[in-house]
Amino acid sequence: MKLYVNLRYLIVPISSLVTLFGIFLGGIYAWIGVILFGIYTIIDTVTKDIHLRAETDDDGNSFGIKQFQYLVMYFMLPVFISLQLALAWRIFQYADSSIIEAAYFAGFAYESGINTTNLIGATLSAALWAGLGIIYGHELSHNKKEGFLVSRLIMALSGASHFTYAHVYNHHLDLGHQDDPATAPRGRNVYWHTWLSHIGQSKFSFDMEKKKLSKQNKSFLSFDNRWILGYVYSLPSIILFVWAGGLIGLLALAAVWVIANFLLEALNFMGHYGLIREEGRPVEHRHSWDNDSVFTSWFFIEIGRQCDHHVRGETYFWELDDVGGPNYGIGYFSLFVLTLVPPLFRSYVKKHLDNWDQNYATDAEKVIAKQFESKNFTARAAS
Amino acid sequence: MFGLFTKKNKDFIASVNENSFEVNVIKGKTLLSSALDQGIDWPHRCKVGSCGSCKCKIISGKIKPQIDFAYVLDQEELDAGYVLACQSELKSDIEVEVIFKNKQE
Repeated sequence: MKLYVNLRYLIVPISSLVTLFGIFLGGIYAWIGVILFGIYTIIDTVTKDIHLRAETDDDGNSFGIKQFQYLVMYFMLPVFISLQLALAWRIFQYADSSIIEAAYFAGFAYESGINTTNLIGATLSAALWAGLGIIYGHELSHNKKEGFLVSRLIMALSGASHFTYAHVYNHHLDLGHQDDPATAPRGRNVYWHTWLSHIGQSKFSFDMEKKKLSKQNKSFLSFDNRWILGYVYSLPSIILFVWAGGLIGLLALAAVWVIANFLLEALNFMGHYGLIREEGRPVEHRHSWDNDSVFTSWFFIEIGRQCDHHVRGETYFWELDDVGGPNYGIGYFSLFVLTLVPPLFRSYVKKHLDNWDQNYATDAEKVIAKQFESKNFTARAAS
Repeated sequence: MFGLFTKKNKDFIASVNENSFEVNVIKGKTLLSSALDQGIDWPHRCKVGSCGSCKCKIISGKIKPQIDFAYVLDQEELDAGYVLACQSELKSDIEVEVIFKNKQE
């Protein structure tokens, strides 16, 4: 049981390595990351009705091994760096117009050089799996020791190092309020949310550093400014891609960052869409959506158990459990596909929001929900 | 130097509000989580170091902060020895003051 509980969270690490190997092999294999994403969407959809509880021994202790899980999460930093290096190498070959031919490295046959189609595949593959770095960046953001720095570095690979501070100091504190950029109000679509949430969290981090440095009588332009430092951590990626391919490299990195941040904000979007918390009231299970179908739970290292996570933010992912909170009933992959088509998503989520209003919301939260409805109605009428 | 490789596994004691009661803090756990584990109604809200509800004043002893408290506490509070219990491990036995909403003896 102990082995099974710990090994089941290795889907992303193994898939990331396969994606990395695919980019190295080149040719059609550069698309492996995209193909895996598609396969996992199907698996997640097919297994949506399987929900498991957290496993514990007779004394209620989790089977999760902290040292092993942390080793895996730390190991993902060099894996994500390697993904960027592999993509940069392919961009270098493309920009250099290298001849496409069979080659060998340490006994492995690979394709040297790359055409435009396969470079797009390599870029999408790297972007999708770099974006999934959020699950480790998120988990480690709640570890205030060396894990916090690893979280910052993983997120910096996607130009989103501010996330680590904003998630803990903004999202966890202001969840369900309009002060939380990561909580999507009713009526917003995932595309608009990605932009607003990204900018909002960065601004929060900017303001927080400004306030902290002011309290310490230090200049904003200081080595202690973690907002600036976060973007400095992203500089090596920019330098690498510009060196590798100039404008093409920059465009590829922009694509990686946009897709990665879209995945990050889509998770925020799905986790709290339309839920409301009265100001000053404690965060409770009802203020998050759970997505805990079996494949989502294992793939996303239980990040879908949002209800439990937001009440017990200090709890390791392998200890999180179903707490009977609001639940979409499907996994993240399936729901993500729905979010890509906003009318479809709104149509799907309506019955869940109605259920939330009737069975979870307090009277005060219902009043706020009604205000949202009338605001949306007014906006639609005006347009 | 070889002390670096010796695993220290010492628990420490937090003596709360002029020795009204004690909290046993196991290595690797925070003051807040230890207090809650022992059934003490220590004030708290977020448990991730962002709300400041669990703040307390260290009278004596040393703690190991897990985060920079300056994001949440004012400079005057920091100067006076306030810390966040949810982000503090102990480096020695400590004396600490905390204000309970419902007075706890």
